[in-house]
Amino acid sequence: MASQLSEGTNALSVMAQRLGRSEIFVDLERGDLMVIAEFSTEMTYQEGASVLIEGQHAERLFVVERGKLALEKKIQIGRHSTPRNATIGYIGPGKIAGFSVLTTPHTYSTSAICMEPTRVIIVDGDCLRDFLVSNPGAGFKVMNRIAALIGGRYRNATNTLTYFLSIVSHELRSPLAAVENYLRTMYGGYAGELTEKQKRMIQRSILRVTDLTALIGDVVDLARMRPEQIQADFEWFDPGEVGSESIEDARLAAAEKNINIRVEPPPNFEPIVGARRRMRQVFTNLLNNAIKFAPPESDVIFRAWYEPEVVIFEVQDSGPGIPTEELPYIFQEFFRASNVGERAGVGMGLSIAKKIMDAHHGQIQVKNISSEFGNTGTCFTVSIPRNLMTPDMRRQSWMKADV
Amino acid sequence: MEEQATILIVDDDPDILEGILMILDTQPYRTATAGDGIKCMKMMEEEVPDLLILDLLMPRMDGWGVIREMRSEPRFANVPILILTTVVEDASRRRYELETGMTMDVQDYVQKPARPDDLIQRVKKMLAAKAAKG
Repeated sequence: MASQLSEGTNALSVMAQRLGRSEIFVDLERGDLMVIAEFSTEMTYQEGASVLIEGQHAERLFVVERGKLALEKKIQIGRHSTPRNATIGYIGPGKIAGFSVLTTPHTYSTSAICMEPTRVIIVDGDCLRDFLVSNPGAGFKVMNRIAALIGGRYRNATNTLTYFLSIVSHELRSPLAAVENYLRTMYGGYAGELTEKQKRMIQRSILRVTDLTALIGDVVDLARMRPEQIQADFEWFDPGEVGSESIEDARLAAAEKNINIRVEPPPNFEPIVGARRRMRQVFTNLLNNAIKFAPPESDVIFRAWYEPEVVIFEVQDSGPGIPTEELPYIFQEFFRASNVGERAGVGMGLSIAKKIMDAHHGQIQVKNISSEFGNTGTCFTVSIPRNLMTPDMRRQSWMKADV
Repeated sequence: MEEQATILIVDDDPDILEGILMILDTQPYRTATAGDGIKCMKMMEEEVPDLLILDLLMPRMDGWGVIREMRSEPRFANVPILILTTVVEDASRRRYELETGMTMDVQDYVQKPARPDDLIQRVKKMLAAKAAKG
């Protein structure tokens, strides 16, 4: 009897020791580990076996002792394709799978598949939760580790995504650049005279290709558009020049619908500080957006003026306007107003413009216009502060503050 | 009119090369092409062009490498360079600075695809600037 008892205690203490090697229990006292060992069991899975499945209720936490698990996530591209599993990482001895037992809504966020015969410790989720709740000291330590673990996985995922997107974007952009280059060469008459019909088809092709190129750019941008990245590019520039470039960007799309871009510039453009290329993106997005919704043969107005603290740009169209109840949402990612109909787009342009303006501590606002004569339209207003600093200026001002 | 200006175009994409040639060959220039940085440096050894149109992302030796080599070699240091690439300008300047500790000494920068009229204008301007310098 006595020897049986000591055998049990011995097994528990071995289990406790093993648990103590895992990444989330490493800070715990031996006493705590002994308790957790009581509701833990060991098990060996064969190669290819699923240890846990994404989307299922998280009941058990797994600590890898030997072997290797692949963390997989179901990914579906488009609505009609079959979902595939993408491996997002591997975990080996000491690492855990199934942290969702400790985080609401207690649903596994990935699947875990054995890459080789794998020995794991299975910790019962309910018991673990109860234990951590009644021992807040231990609970704090474990949750701290979990937060670090999730943070690490999140950073990993973000980095992978950014890297992946930049590679993909180059691979997609290069052939498109070659195609567009040929098209523009033909359109310009450099490869011989074109008939009106051919010219029109080539013009359409250029438009479609530039749309696609911009779309690829948007997808990549959305992933890398962090304020500090935008602010690192702050420099002095002439906003009038950038405005002209944006008009040039939108020229073909405007010509296509016989839309006249009416420019109302200030008497003088004074240089401001900002991310030049990003501001061009904002103006081009707003102009293209306005052109998209403006009726054919109408005017799109592009105006600018200076106020003491800010410089303001406005883009106004005479399209149908945006349903009032949807106005608060139009700067959200992937939002498209309910009345956009068949017009092309995926709803990224405005949210990108908003992110750029946020990084400039500026504002982007929208209002509908409706006059007593029954005219409608939408007006986007962008205001950029005139007191922004380039990275160099920021450095200088810190140095001064230091003295 | 003085002697025909020579322009060397470097890009690993044969379609880009052909497209650019089609545009520039409408002008009174002598043109030559190279498919990567190594080939470009070899051709420069034989004849120093009046202008280099250079892509950045290429196999063997990339465009940044070409700029680095040219700017440290007195014979090529004054050849004006027009970058024609899909890489955005600030990103590639930052990369060059990080790698070399120097600012990227190129005279013009165009993000692909080039607009034919615009390209011709830029080339004219650069050649005129070079001729004025002597």
